Amino acid sequence: MISLKNITKSFGGFEAVKNLSIEINEGEIYGLLGSNGAGKSTTINILLGFLEPDEGEAFIDGIDVTANEDSARKKIGYISENVNLYHYLTGIENLNYFCKIAGEDYNDKALSKILNNCGLDSDVINKKVGSYSKGMRQKVGIAIAFAKKAKVLLLDEPASGLDPLASTELSSTLKSLAKKGNAVLMASHDIFRVRETCDRIGILKNGSLIDQMDTSKVTTNELEKIYIDYMRD
Amino acid sequence: MIAIIFNEWKILVRNRSIVYVSLIFILSIISLAWMSNLQSESQSKAQAAAEKHIRSQWDNLEPMNPHRAAHYGVYVFKPISILNSLDDGVSSITGNVLKLEGHVQNEIVHSEASQSITISKFGKLKPSIILQYVVPLFLIFLSFGSITNDKETGRMKLIVLQGVSPEKLVLSKSISIWLYGLMLIMFSVLLQSLLGSLALDAGSRLGLTFISYGLYYLIVVCLSTFISVSFRNNTSAISLLLATWIVWTIFLPKIWGNTVEKVHPLPSRQNFIAQMREDRSKGIDGHNPRDERRSKLEKEYLVKYKVDSLSQLPINFDGIVMQADEEYGNQVWDKHFGNNYLIYQKQKKLYQLSGLLNPFSSLQNLSMGFCGSDMIHHLDFLKKAENYRRYLIKTLNDKHAHGGSRTGEWRWTVDNTFFRSVKTFDYQTMLIKNHIGNYLFDILALIAWAIFAGSLMRYKIKRDILL
Repeated sequence: MISLKNITKSFGGFEAVKNLSIEINEGEIYGLLGSNGAGKSTTINILLGFLEPDEGEAFIDGIDVTANEDSARKKIGYISENVNLYHYLTGIENLNYFCKIAGEDYNDKALSKILNNCGLDSDVINKKVGSYSKGMRQKVGIAIAFAKKAKVLLLDEPASGLDPLASTELSSTLKSLAKKGNAVLMASHDIFRVRETCDRIGILKNGSLIDQMDTSKVTTNELEKIYIDYMRD
Repeated sequence: MIAIIFNEWKILVRNRSIVYVSLIFILSIISLAWMSNLQSESQSKAQAAAEKHIRSQWDNLEPMNPHRAAHYGVYVFKPISILNSLDDGVSSITGNVLKLEGHVQNEIVHSEASQSITISKFGKLKPSIILQYVVPLFLIFLSFGSITNDKETGRMKLIVLQGVSPEKLVLSKSISIWLYGLMLIMFSVLLQSLLGSLALDAGSRLGLTFISYGLYYLIVVCLSTFISVSFRNNTSAISLLLATWIVWTIFLPKIWGNTVEKVHPLPSRQNFIAQMREDRSKGIDGHNPRDERRSKLEKEYLVKYKVDSLSQLPINFDGIVMQADEEYGNQVWDKHFGNNYLIYQKQKKLYQLSGLLNPFSSLQNLSMGFCGSDMIHHLDFLKKAENYRRYLIKTLNDKHAHGGSRTGEWRWTVDNTFFRSVKTFDYQTMLIKNHIGNYLFDILALIAWAIFAGSLMRYKIKRDILL
């Protein structure tokens, strides 16, 4: 569903991503672990079609992102570290607006249901987003992706700054979306959250993918040790 | 696109700061327009009363020599247009009362500025000040905030991922901010229509004013968006925007204005009057002085009436001399005032050129012009008042010459039946449709700027990926 083939991207003389290849299947959650500047956001921006790779190809559900960015974007849901919605609109109004501009038309009942399914209670969806916590805004972000019927979910540091309960809720929401057939790529440096949420993990260092593993085969402590060892090298 | 514009408006309406600022704008425009209108109305009433009083005095003149009545003269008043309360242009400094009499062309007096220290120092606060200076500044901030906020927060990415092209998104945002500006100008225009009786010409003028401000606001919004998109550093972007606003509204108009006065200088008031006096007594350019003119005219009339002396003439030769001198004076005035008028025209044309660099100048020219308060309208009044003066004095001199008196009979009088037959000065403001050519360059400059700014914005959005 998500395919990166030998991607390289440089900014001036700096190589942000080097020969990166990753395949993420339908229903799979892939965690891209790396420190700041490792190339996680660059990779996500290439998949979003906001950056063009110098070499290699990126595909979303078989669509070449560089050649057909508009078609590819239709299949993508994107959650950034801070989901910035319109503070003066309510949760349901935000979702309605993002659906409308995507060409999706839902009535209020359907919009409420989507927000409820993404973990937002009925009593908050009519409150202005300015009063929402970060976790609540992310739930609206996920609802936007869900309403759009996105097949692929790209998350850039989604758990950063979330409280433990919100982080756990985020993990379970992502897992349920994956169960429905979505492919999820989650870039993070939160080892614990990645281990809890993802099926597979890739460790990115200085733009290169230096290791990949199934989360079922490592404990959190082992993963932490592996990660820190790589970072120290 | 409509969904985005609608959403932007929803956000504007829900943003309390913007609502408060808008309310302040609207209340300021209402109060200023209302106060200006009250002042205009009271001034118009005072003028009408003064005109009536002066006409009544004229109609009831005691029997007197017509030439004495020419010295008595009449006062005429520059009428105040209802649009004056939107933009008073140069009206407050040009004066509005003119005495018309024989032998001399007086200067228009009683400007508001001459009667108020505040006006001469700071100018008069009119809705046009808010619409020309404050609203564009607010549009700059709105455009800048709208773009940079979406860019910085990453919301732009989220919107683009929903299938909206960056070009369409930025265009929709710019349109929604432009519509906000249009709403304020539309409000001002409608308010003016409500405050005064709207004749066809005033309606056309308001329509043209609306279009001019609309074009200027479009330029401001497109350029603000272009600069906001172009700079990664927001401080640089807002600094450049504010610097542009300052240069456009403060520096360029003054620098260009001073340059225009240096390139096409008007004679000083003292020189102007001295030259007129000299030309009138010694003849234009030193030829044909007064004495020579008189003796030539005397010979002509003696030949014409086949008599040997002035006392034998069946007419009053003094009236003929008086009118001849008046007509000669008119030629002198036409030469000097015509020369000044040409200089004004040259100054205006050169000043209009600044519109290529500064659309604010074009807007100011158009705003004053369409509100009937610019120099062109003022000169039109002076010209028509002078034409009336010529009619008045000729009527009086002709009566003096051909009314039945003989040369030297200065005590000969006419009664007020004659004075009542003299027409009143009835000034009609020029119709804008007949003078639109004077403003064509300013309109074209604004259109060119709007196309240029719009193209810059679209080119930049197409070229830059909005990360």
